[in-house]
Amino acid sequence: MKRHDQHGRGRNGPHLRRFRLLGAAVAAALLLTAGLATPMTPGTPQAHAAEAHDKDGGGKKVLTVAVAQSVDSLSPFLAVRLLSTSINRLMYEYLTDYDPKDAHAVPSLATKWEPSPDKLTWTYTIRGDSKWSDGQQATAEDAAWTFNKMMTDQGAATANGSFVGNFAQVTAPSPTKLVIRLKKPQATMTALDVPIVPKHIWEKVKDFSKFNNDKTFPIVGNGPFVLTDYKPDSYVRLKANKDFWRGAPKFDELLFRYYKDQDAAVAALRKGEVSFVAGSPSLTPAQAASLKGDRNIHVNDAPGRRFYALATNPGAQAKNGEKFGDGDPSLLDERVRHALFMAVDRKAIVDKVFQGHAVEGQGYIPPRFSSYFWKPSAGQELAYDPVKAGQLLDQAGYRKNADGKRAGKDGKPLNYRVLCHATDPNDKAVGKYLQEWWGRLGIGITLDCLDNVTDPWLAGKYDLAFDGWSVNPDPDFVLSIHTCAARPATPKDTGATDDFICDKTYDELYAQQLAEYDPAKRADIVKRMESRLYDLGYMNVMAYPNAVEAYRTDQIKSITTMPSKAGNIYGQDGYWSWWSAVPADSGDSSGSSVSTGVVVGIAAGVVVLVGLGVLFAMRRRATAEDRE
Amino acid sequence: MTTPSTESPETAPAAENTGAAAVPGPRATAWRRRRASAARFWREYRRHRAGVLGLAALLLFALVALTAPLTVGSDVASVTDAPGRPLQSPSAQFPLGTDQFGRSLLALVIWGSRVSLLVGLLAAVLSVAIGALIGITAGHFRGWYATVMMRVTDWFLVMPTLVLAIALATVMSRSLGTIVLAIGVTTWPTTARLVRAQTLAVESRPYIERARALGGGHWHVMSRHVLPNVMPLVLAQTTLIISSAILAEATLAFLGLGDPTVVSWGGLLQDAREAGAVSSGDWWYLVPPGIAIAVVALAFTLCGRAVEAVLNPRLGVSR
Repeated sequence: MKRHDQHGRGRNGPHLRRFRLLGAAVAAALLLTAGLATPMTPGTPQAHAAEAHDKDGGGKKVLTVAVAQSVDSLSPFLAVRLLSTSINRLMYEYLTDYDPKDAHAVPSLATKWEPSPDKLTWTYTIRGDSKWSDGQQATAEDAAWTFNKMMTDQGAATANGSFVGNFAQVTAPSPTKLVIRLKKPQATMTALDVPIVPKHIWEKVKDFSKFNNDKTFPIVGNGPFVLTDYKPDSYVRLKANKDFWRGAPKFDELLFRYYKDQDAAVAALRKGEVSFVAGSPSLTPAQAASLKGDRNIHVNDAPGRRFYALATNPGAQAKNGEKFGDGDPSLLDERVRHALFMAVDRKAIVDKVFQGHAVEGQGYIPPRFSSYFWKPSAGQELAYDPVKAGQLLDQAGYRKNADGKRAGKDGKPLNYRVLCHATDPNDKAVGKYLQEWWGRLGIGITLDCLDNVTDPWLAGKYDLAFDGWSVNPDPDFVLSIHTCAARPATPKDTGATDDFICDKTYDELYAQQLAEYDPAKRADIVKRMESRLYDLGYMNVMAYPNAVEAYRTDQIKSITTMPSKAGNIYGQDGYWSWWSAVPADSGDSSGSSVSTGVVVGIAAGVVVLVGLGVLFAMRRRATAEDRE
Repeated sequence: MTTPSTESPETAPAAENTGAAAVPGPRATAWRRRRASAARFWREYRRHRAGVLGLAALLLFALVALTAPLTVGSDVASVTDAPGRPLQSPSAQFPLGTDQFGRSLLALVIWGSRVSLLVGLLAAVLSVAIGALIGITAGHFRGWYATVMMRVTDWFLVMPTLVLAIALATVMSRSLGTIVLAIGVTTWPTTARLVRAQTLAVESRPYIERARALGGGHWHVMSRHVLPNVMPLVLAQTTLIISSAILAEATLAFLGLGDPTVVSWGGLLQDAREAGAVSSGDWWYLVPPGIAIAVVALAFTLCGRAVEAVLNPRLGVSR
């Protein structure tokens, strides 16, 4: 959610990286074999589907969600992926929630909050009607313990440490009163995305950097759902918390089932095996178009909370001043960066690659967050203009030679490595366009499409990279990843930085906005930061992709989107969608009509079989002839 | 054996009888022999109808691939100048519809044949070259060298080819060369085993001993006597491996391990899958490249079987 955008892009935890690489390869091989045999078989066993289905008929209302991401950790102190943080939202309460309509802070575990006149002490009133699922009362003591743990234990600060970095002291003078003292004013105090965990359970944990919270079920929590079962890369099962203070969820059970292949998830949705297909990654335009024709399926095409950008290596540097990586030196020239971006036709990307399921990129923060949305003025805008881009490159001293190629300062033709996510079809598609657009400028590119982009990325071994983050209602986090302080301490360390950007002006503005409690003034500073980032040309936002997701209307009668007008359902900043989902009356949800996809799959299978049949017949006959 | 001969010694006397009267030079004799054996090979090959069919299909594909720059041109792969709208169904303008970028799928399948065939051929040649080299040297030198080489061969033989190829393609940079290497390096063990067996058989023949006695060194024996004799086997093996190499290339490209900017049949299937063509029923995106792969693989197999049967008449009996 925060660290990890909807595509699972960004950073994976340092552990498991290599295993995932190999695992992905093996899984891909298995998938292919399975896919070739029966193109429509989902990756998970059929038994689960049937089980859920039976329960559906047997009075228990199950909401099954097909997700493409696997869980990194169920521990709120470690989880950074969208799926895991969404599940944490369902399991535990936060101090505040975001209103589903306009994302302003609303009461959650805290009913009231107030800063002191000197802006340095915040007092929260904790509600008295929230109970842990083992019957104990949730108190301010739990909240204080959670924050103190994150402030004192490095392992517990892995995922959300940035929120408490500025905390001086957290105390609970009474069960309903939480007091946080700050070192400096902090504007994000009503947007602390930190799950509050039960102290009496978690104080037994020894090593927070290793504990994944997946050993004993059900897991004690106080959110709208209680996690009852989990199998890695297979499913996560949650049951409704009937005593939830805001009201019990309407569905009895919520099941997140893992589908590695989006096509398989769509087929499962068509057959009614799943109720919802998560738009992460978004459904492809072709899938959305074909699902729209289905009577019982609703396609939710919502303005996304993500930006989709092209990051440029600014010459990676650690906080100790040591340079590392091998970004192309020509990219240090602002004119070159601007020229590259001016040769990118953002409108074509939205029209052709996203086929309208996206909005043309402008500033850093998507237009959905209207108070922070900024767009360049006419004079500032780097509009699509290949001719001017060529002139800029000429000015920068990179002239075309006789072959039409531009040479770098070392005399070799410019050829940039573009890091792309092999798992994201959009990266590859946009890469093909970039290759042609920049090819006309006289610049070659090599698309490095990898399953695991983290290693070259952290090592600074890239020239350009496809980048994207989900933006929270409070923009602090996505702004913080471009500050000098976010860079790694030494080249060997891992920093929170996204692209190694370090700019003094930007940093000053960042500190200002964090200390500004007036929303309008703060928004103004944030916009100036976006303007600065735009001019630097290291983060070039190409588009804001929509969240395209689909659900069965004969299984889900209604569900809350966030924002309520044209919003997404999966990956919200809160539990609104799953908490509010109302089951449809009709128990019969089996899709009797065989989809065209299945027919095509079978047809393709038949063609292959016939081909093999012919081959064997030929061989048999050849043998027979030889025998004669 | 002073003249270099590519024919096996057993058949040499027959050819000499026909050419004795004119007393031509040794070089001309050799060439005449080669022509005669080629003609004989073709006579035999023609008797295998499946082989002729496969050959016809191959010639057709080769023609299509070689003339692709004239018929469709390299512009077909361009996404910025795509003529159609995304995922149009087949029409008069686009006989096989369009892909996700609005490019004509017929043109893409034609253009993709170049990469698929090229990679298939190169990978098969690489694989057979490695196999033949290891097979001949292991069969010739014996001793600890042969033991070591054969254990290495066995190790590669039991390794699952696809997994090994995926691992190789993952760690190396994405390019056609990588794919060729990944396939070539993983599929050679069968060839090595076959060639070694044949080498052992050839080396036990008396004329090899004669050649040694006359002072023929290792290199002479291997290149002048053993190699020509294992050549037919190698040729047949190459033809057979090409079809599996083409399939392997398609598989790797389908798994997304190929160069995404190069158009190939496997790559088209991968694009189709990523565009969600399977679940949205856009069959024209999937079926043409799939059938093309199947037909070419089948054609090479048919040819390979026919060549095998011609060069080794005993094969049919023993089967």
